[in-house]
Amino acid sequence: MIEIVETGPFNTVQDLGRPGYRDIGVSASGAMDPLAVKIGNILVGNAEGAAVLEIQTFPFRLIFKRRSAFVVSGTDGNPLLDGIELLPWYAYNAEVGQVLELKQPPKLARAYVAIGGGVDVPCIMGSRSTSLRGNFGGNAGRPLEKGDRITVGEEAGILPIPASGLGVVEPAVALRAFFPRSAEGSLLIRALPAGEHRLFAGDGEAFWGQTWRISSRSDRTGYRLSGDPVVPMETVEMRSHGVVPGVIQVPPGGEPIVQMSDANTAGGYPKIAGVIECDLWRLGQARIGTRLQFVRSSYAEARAIEQAVASYIEDVRRTSGLIKRALKAMA
Amino acid sequence: MSAIDFSDPATIAFLTDALTAAGVAGLEISAPSGQLRIVVSSAGEAKIGSNRSAQPGSVSPVLVRAPLAGYFCVAHRSGSAEVSSLPRAICATDVLGFIRVGPVLLPVSAGRSGTVTKLLAEADAMVGYGAPLFEIEVQS
Repeated sequence: MIEIVETGPFNTVQDLGRPGYRDIGVSASGAMDPLAVKIGNILVGNAEGAAVLEIQTFPFRLIFKRRSAFVVSGTDGNPLLDGIELLPWYAYNAEVGQVLELKQPPKLARAYVAIGGGVDVPCIMGSRSTSLRGNFGGNAGRPLEKGDRITVGEEAGILPIPASGLGVVEPAVALRAFFPRSAEGSLLIRALPAGEHRLFAGDGEAFWGQTWRISSRSDRTGYRLSGDPVVPMETVEMRSHGVVPGVIQVPPGGEPIVQMSDANTAGGYPKIAGVIECDLWRLGQARIGTRLQFVRSSYAEARAIEQAVASYIEDVRRTSGLIKRALKAMA
Repeated sequence: MSAIDFSDPATIAFLTDALTAAGVAGLEISAPSGQLRIVVSSAGEAKIGSNRSAQPGSVSPVLVRAPLAGYFCVAHRSGSAEVSSLPRAICATDVLGFIRVGPVLLPVSAGRSGTVTKLLAEADAMVGYGAPLFEIEVQS
């Protein structure tokens, strides 16, 4: 059991999402940075898709009502346990009554709190994610509030976390070769041309060639980008069609929208491109105001990045288990 | 870590048996209270030397050893210039460095408060289990 002591708005329980129900109008939901969820869960000893807390407004504080292992992942800010600074991306043990505090991170947008046993809220349509749009899932279908008491699953069979903690070389560092930044420091997001790409002049050069800024009208549903408008060469009337996270639509105003975790299930704007799945977590960690450029990718490149990420995750799983077992045997 | 009395004959006998059984040639333990050295001779007979620190209350150096084999990292993030200057005062829970195995990092905590005086391993070097990493002067 944990109790929320302090929270900003729109902090929710999330897991890897609820895919497969778009046909009945249910958004996939799920964490904006699924890679952080997987690594946090693996370090703490959970299944990689266990439910966690997604914290996107700070400060945030919770109190542990039971001795628990926990990880704060995804973020570049140092969490505090009873006021003592810890490292992000590390598993630690918390004693009963200890308070975990997350302050506004220096650069990134979201922090994830994984707890040994997983956040135990009812599983609805295969997921524990909060659907804010549908007001169901997660913690009573709503964001976390001060005073919420949330059950945590049993830690049965979980290997003990070493007393000084156990962490990882974070994905942005370990997979540096696969996640480039531009020389000017803007975020490079790989994307593939999508259905209506041909409607845009010069092979979409206005879209690919400029630096966009994530506007303040951005949230878990989608990011609205600001920059020089891109307009199609002809106006097309399209029927609404299925939309998934990562789809980049161009509304009549010409400033693109990137659909994110709480993406609409359908839409009718022309689609210029789609962000490759392995870059979505980086977009999920980009704050309002972040400058980004889209880089034209290929299926082969997207696949290669996916394989590198998968092998990093597998390596973390195998090695962290090995180290925990070795230290347990030596204790 | 709980304090083990290395001057206790029962402890020494147990360690000697364990070393003999494991075919290990010897063992040396340094603790603030003194040193214990066991050398298992080829004939199977152990020589034991133990000396208590002459003056309890004096400053004695203690080694912080690798809890695991792996790559020794002085700082959390590779490439960062977080390496602090020596000597510096630390408390028992302070993390002095890390052992990296693949993408996983195991923090090495001081274990006792005192002053870190020496860095004994090279940054990014492969170190074995028990390799000395830091020397701490403990004010006992």
